[in-house]
Amino acid sequence: MASVSATCPRFQPLFSHSNKTGRAPGLKLVSVGWAKFTGFPSLKASRFRVSCSAKPETVEKVIEIVRKQLALKPETVLTSETEFVELGADSLDTVEIVMTLEEEFDINVEEESSQNITSVQEVADLIEKLVQQKAQGES
Amino acid sequence: MLSFQRSFSVSPSLQLPSPMETHLWFVVPDEFKSVSLLNQYMELLSPCEKENVLSMRGEQLQKQALLARTLVRTTIARYQINNRVVDPRSLKFKRNVHGKPELEWESDGGQCPSPLRFNISHTSSLIACGVTVNSSIGIDIEEKQRKIKNNILAFARRYFSLHEVEHLSAISDSEVQRQEFVKLWTLKEAYVKALGRGFSAAPFKTFTICIKNGFRRGFDHADDLESGAPEVVVESSDHPERLTNNWQFGLFELVSSHYAAVCMEKDKTSDAGMSVPIRLNVRKTIPFVEDECISGTDAVVPIAGLIEQF
Repeated sequence: MASVSATCPRFQPLFSHSNKTGRAPGLKLVSVGWAKFTGFPSLKASRFRVSCSAKPETVEKVIEIVRKQLALKPETVLTSETEFVELGADSLDTVEIVMTLEEEFDINVEEESSQNITSVQEVADLIEKLVQQKAQGES
Repeated sequence: MLSFQRSFSVSPSLQLPSPMETHLWFVVPDEFKSVSLLNQYMELLSPCEKENVLSMRGEQLQKQALLARTLVRTTIARYQINNRVVDPRSLKFKRNVHGKPELEWESDGGQCPSPLRFNISHTSSLIACGVTVNSSIGIDIEEKQRKIKNNILAFARRYFSLHEVEHLSAISDSEVQRQEFVKLWTLKEAYVKALGRGFSAAPFKTFTICIKNGFRRGFDHADDLESGAPEVVVESSDHPERLTNNWQFGLFELVSSHYAAVCMEKDKTSDAGMSVPIRLNVRKTIPFVEDECISGTDAVVPIAGLIEQF
């Protein structure tokens, strides 16, 4: 991950340029979202768009939010496979995490969907699905 | 049986809770430092429970998970059924169709299924188990100081009912608002857990919990009841005709650090319209070491609902 963040400053001008031209409307939605919260430029986002399961960046963002909500120690290892029960998340934590994710990704998670989420990977996959659905709905 | 009695001090067995009684037992994780005691507790758990405890990330979480299962097993085992001593290790648990944990009581030779019902709630600093007889029970405990990471009103608008949002919005002091939010959360959680049908069967937005200022309903109240104690009422937002007056609530402060909410079914033999108090007994425990009854002390401070401590 250290190598990724090191490349960010190099791409900055490229991001702001593509945002102004508004060349790919669908892409713009995702890229604005990414830039706002992760600093990742649109170019990086477009490369990963086609994959079926969640982008590593989405998983990373979920992990970051979960860490903050549960005030986890830095040495606590979190991977995409980590299940929320293992982290001692209670129901209020889970609902807060979902709400934070809704705000971060500008999506709406139905209560029924959030019922079936047990791991970081599942949350990330659900987010991607909802972000894509939203992008398709708007284009 | 013999080895069980030698290894663990058998707690004096208790009478089962009567109707409208809740016995609340709790542990404070910080009070458990002895590795040998924790190892003893580990021996009480089923293989599946042990696996779950060990899958928790970090020692603190493992300890909390261990104490939670220990609390449930040892608490239930205290209540002697049919004059037989119960080994906490022998208890079996199952989930109802909706996923709520329940006691599985094998009936052999005409034994009745266990009337004991329980519900558990944890925070990192306190784990509690409520026990009743023949009444569905839900409990929720939260730290009084719990900080909400999201904006409270935004959260309430997203998850709570309209009336609840209005109630919270009307509070100008942000600290008081946060406290009221936490109290409301515990009551809503306790209700959903008492219903035992899972979060999706009663999404938080579909019901309103209202703490009404105490008023006399025109019935004769016993002298020792809190006069004017705020009443807690639940109403269904989307199905107003749905029966909700069969649930009784109690909200109180526990050991000055936590809010505790209890929701139980009203005793079926009492009049539906009458509000009978929840008789509450609260005990802090270190299983196999000591128990301390704290009901009626300043460690239990009623906030709302009809509560009679004993």
